[in-house]
Amino acid sequence: MIRVSGLTKIFEGGNKAINDLSLEVKQGEILALLGPNGAGKTTTIRVLTTLSGFDQGEVEVASFNVDSDPESVRRAIGLVAQKTGVDHFLTGRENLVLQGRLYRMNTAEIESRIIELAKYFELDDSLDRTVMTYSGGMQRKLDIATALIHKPKVLFLDEPTLGLDIKSRQNLWQYINKLNIEQGLTILLTTHYLEEADHLSHRVAIINQGKIQIIDTPEALKNDIHGDAVILNFDSQGPETGDFTYALHEDPEIKDVVWQNDKLHVYVDNGGSAVPKLVHLAEEKGLLIKSLSLSQPSLDDVFLKYTGTTLDEAVKEEGDEWWHQWAGKGGGGKWQKNWDKWQDKIEESGSEEDKAGWQDKMQEWQNKDDSGQNGSASPTKTDNSPQQQSGKQPQGDGEKSQKTNDQPQQSTDKQSESDKQQDWPQQQWAGKDQGDWQKWQQPEKDK
Amino acid sequence: MFADTWHLFLKYTKITLRMPLWTLFTLIQPLLWLIIFTQLFKNFVQAPTDGGSYIDFFVPGVLVMTALFGSSWSGVSLLREITAGSVDKMLVSPVSRVAIVLSRVMHSAVQVVLQTLTIMLVAWAFGANLNLDPINLLLAMVSIFLLGVGLAALSNGFAIILQREEPLVMIGNLMTLPLMFLSTAMVPKQFMPGWIEAVSLINPITYAVESVRAVLVGTPDLGTYGFGVGIMFVFAGLSLAWAVSAFNGLRD
Repeated sequence: MIRVSGLTKIFEGGNKAINDLSLEVKQGEILALLGPNGAGKTTTIRVLTTLSGFDQGEVEVASFNVDSDPESVRRAIGLVAQKTGVDHFLTGRENLVLQGRLYRMNTAEIESRIIELAKYFELDDSLDRTVMTYSGGMQRKLDIATALIHKPKVLFLDEPTLGLDIKSRQNLWQYINKLNIEQGLTILLTTHYLEEADHLSHRVAIINQGKIQIIDTPEALKNDIHGDAVILNFDSQGPETGDFTYALHEDPEIKDVVWQNDKLHVYVDNGGSAVPKLVHLAEEKGLLIKSLSLSQPSLDDVFLKYTGTTLDEAVKEEGDEWWHQWAGKGGGGKWQKNWDKWQDKIEESGSEEDKAGWQDKMQEWQNKDDSGQNGSASPTKTDNSPQQQSGKQPQGDGEKSQKTNDQPQQSTDKQSESDKQQDWPQQQWAGKDQGDWQKWQQPEKDK
Repeated sequence: MFADTWHLFLKYTKITLRMPLWTLFTLIQPLLWLIIFTQLFKNFVQAPTDGGSYIDFFVPGVLVMTALFGSSWSGVSLLREITAGSVDKMLVSPVSRVAIVLSRVMHSAVQVVLQTLTIMLVAWAFGANLNLDPINLLLAMVSIFLLGVGLAALSNGFAIILQREEPLVMIGNLMTLPLMFLSTAMVPKQFMPGWIEAVSLINPITYAVESVRAVLVGTPDLGTYGFGVGIMFVFAGLSLAWAVSAFNGLRD
């Protein structure tokens, strides 16, 4: 249904938005393009829907060439873009009628199609209200309905559930799933929600920096990472946790250790035998384990493997929020520089003293973080951070940190209020430079 | 293409009708000018206004001004539509690209014609002595309509090129007032310093005003009208062609 080969698009300034991208979507398939903002997802969709030109490659949608026969492509596809294209001053019905007109449908066709779609999306009661009065979820549904008015063969969904609350999101998933199952609609969707890709798609394409890193079924991708993940959460963090991490790195049975927020992910072949060992080691180091859980690797782990970052970290932030000053943008901030400096120093001298030094330094930085908290929002409110409420940047951090907390692996525990001090910096980092945090905590692993 | 234009035109008209207040607001400025200027210059002007009172002379100027202020902001809403994603939604459908621009411009021009008719009614109530028989009125409105098309097209073209609202509003502000004053909308040619008169000769607003004045005030002068309307026609056509080509270049 969709065939793309060697697609390259160069933005002004020589930046390759899409870099030699190839993919194929079969009839009746749902393919998810999973990647951070700026990975080239939207640009790919724009090229495939004739909205954007491209520099190299062959693109075929519904067996029409996008470049030479855009008209036929347009007739065969429906697009639900990130921004809702429905007109707020018109009623739902007027939006649908207009869309039908633009596809040159006649009145009778439009009428019967509207009845169908309204029933399908349960919009009957609100059809004659202006869209202004619709909720976000309803607007999205109407948006999808308008994209379906002409019975397209392929539906493109660009971040279909961005900015929706969890309930509306799951509601929308049902509709999308049903569309695919009942009507055999081929769907290409983009998302940066792992859960969404996992839940909706037959195959997932992980895309980063304009390139597809891997395409496979979510199950196959997850199977690719063997073993179990043990997730630990400690009562406190300080030099001891650093010590603990350090010790883990030296254990050959442990495949990888990654900090995510304040949780330590330990990847092992056999979780059952690793747990007692971990508990024992923690006791030895004088650490109190607050929670411990054992889980299967998730798509996030897959993403980490293929892109070298977690999705949350890779999601580009926007705006000039105050914490950029010290959190840095894209990992290039002050923290990163400080850390790099330290690492260089360790490399140069390699002495144990310096190795101990980084732990002290880390403690110091952390304290700095904590003091930053006092003057601002309380950590538990991070999820309601302003940029989420503004609605204009639905990919705001609030959502991301929330998302982080929702990941299945981490569902076992909830932080207590008394942990605010510890919680705060990592909450921030969850949305921003979580990667720095990880690098920070496991300095020697890469070597 | 015409069917597409018509459906989109209907959409914009519906939207306008749902915001009647906004349309009313665009009338306030020309009304104020009509009142202030005619009152201000009532006893003062000894201008050669072809025997009529200043209000007779000035009404065509205010009508053109209404068109100028009414249609020069058409591009702002195009930018909003681009930001909101409605333009992408249209572009991804097989709708005629020309129709997208044309419908906006037509909507703006029709709106402007209705506004000028309202202003004319007020001027008439103020005691302006105009030729208001249907034919003269129609001719005047043709000229106003063409002016509206041209200005709205320019505004849309600038919107596409500038891509941002702030510079667009700035350019709008920069253009409308000088265009207004450097034309014969408020003062007759004989009153102008030489250089302003020279500028007014290349200002399309002058020809809009002259053509409207030729049919509405005094004895209808079809020669002047024909010339003015011809210029308006060329102006509208060129602006529209430019806006459409700018719009076609929108694809990145």
